[in-house]
Amino acid sequence: MGSIRGKTAVVGIGEVPTGIYPERSFIEAAVTASEMAIRNSGIKKEDIDTVIPIVVVANALDNANMVCSWMIEELGLGKTAKSNFQIASGGSSSANALKTAAALVNAGLSKAVLIVHSDRLGTGLDLGMAIAMFAKVSTSQEYEMPYGFSQLALAGLLQQRFMYDTETTERQIAAVVETNRKWAALNPNSIFYKKPITIEKVLESPVISSPVRARTMNKLCDGASAFIVTSAERARDLTDRPAYILGLSSRCTHFTVTQQPDFFKAWSPAVDEAYEMAGIGPENVDVAELYDAFPTFTLISTELTRLCGRGEAGRFFEEGHAAPGGKLPIQTNGAMMGQGHTGAGGGPALLVEAVRQITGKAGERQVSDVRNAIVTGSGGVGMDFHMEVLGKEV
Amino acid sequence: MSEYKKPLPLITRTSKVFYDGCRENKLLYQHCKDCGEVIFFPKELCPNCMGRNLDWRESKGKGKIHTFTIAYAAAPPEFTDDQPFVLAIIELDEGYRMMSNIVECDFETLSCEMSVEVVFDPVTPEITLPKFRPVSK
Repeated sequence: MGSIRGKTAVVGIGEVPTGIYPERSFIEAAVTASEMAIRNSGIKKEDIDTVIPIVVVANALDNANMVCSWMIEELGLGKTAKSNFQIASGGSSSANALKTAAALVNAGLSKAVLIVHSDRLGTGLDLGMAIAMFAKVSTSQEYEMPYGFSQLALAGLLQQRFMYDTETTERQIAAVVETNRKWAALNPNSIFYKKPITIEKVLESPVISSPVRARTMNKLCDGASAFIVTSAERARDLTDRPAYILGLSSRCTHFTVTQQPDFFKAWSPAVDEAYEMAGIGPENVDVAELYDAFPTFTLISTELTRLCGRGEAGRFFEEGHAAPGGKLPIQTNGAMMGQGHTGAGGGPALLVEAVRQITGKAGERQVSDVRNAIVTGSGGVGMDFHMEVLGKEV
Repeated sequence: MSEYKKPLPLITRTSKVFYDGCRENKLLYQHCKDCGEVIFFPKELCPNCMGRNLDWRESKGKGKIHTFTIAYAAAPPEFTDDQPFVLAIIELDEGYRMMSNIVECDFETLSCEMSVEVVFDPVTPEITLPKFRPVSK
């Protein structure tokens, strides 16, 4: 199997603001994000022969309709499209979609693939339903359901053990939130635009599922984003600034949180393979868009991707290295803690942000001279781990 | 005794064996007779060798807290009245993990790697749930 290094690229991105938008319909957001991606890429829409909608969480009918080619009709692709199919793996859906799109394009089976996400967790889902749903997914109905698990409990279980293993402090966990919110404050598409928060404020908030506090939880939001993958040749015809897909790999390890393996043993091979395919190491990473959902996973991912050593990520964030102006900017859109939790949308939002950083379109948050960006993704209760390397040059 | 309103386990042909065990205060797990794999959650196929030659063994019910969280708020709706309660992942001495609640405990002294032992909680006439409590020193 030959490497797909540099054979494909992301050429267009779109995103609508993440937040509470009761007036904005599901499809309006999906169409707007797709339109932005198409216009931004300069591609003829007839060249998009494959549409991959990412799983919708808040509304089962919206989800089913996306599976049944809703976007093909809305975007007028019915005369030229070959396929519309959904990719659903929770928070890693965009990573699996990027991989699938790159493979289809590289194999010559697709000219260009549009990947689109839209969801309304902010206004399309009531809180009771949200808790019930997030409590039941990724649990064993036979052996776990009776005990009161939830996604918040997941955050508590992971943070508790991570703090025990690494001696990471609560203050360092809060520093991740502060860092996310510093970036989010610069991101007009974030629900926390111009609303930073301090470590002290985070630590003042009540404990919800120990050691997780109210302000170390993410906020459920509405949002939509889209991106287009095509061949490197076609990308160069369209723009002088494609974001090349230089490397990717992943590991998929388990279903329930009870059966989670040692992440470092189980997932490090994916990190090594992605770096190797890209021909770079962690020292060449200029910006890291790490999948979070909650701050402990950011710290685990910072260590997994070898941006710092084991047990050092907490201090790295506390010392401000990941923040605006720091030596290694991490999660420059604010990630889900800063931008908002849109179901499976945290992944595509980070990918879109990586492309912005590589193509110099990140506005106030632009990191200078970005050559390589890494993006990670994880689904379920941390059932898998994906890493992609995007680069300015092949 | 008020009606039990929290979720009960899904009973299948396999999980029935486990919960029948619990009703007799026995904590069961599976073992593959072909390759020796310790299996939990119970399965149809051995996840190591894909054999179907599985049998059940009784655990001593002793282990350590791998990790835990105390739910003070925002637990699933059926658990609201129980807050605060402790959800934990237990590492059993036989080498497998299960999710459960830690009961009869002082929240302040809980920690990862703390020794715990099983206690059986008959929540309905049919279902007994295994829970864990700290081992008194």
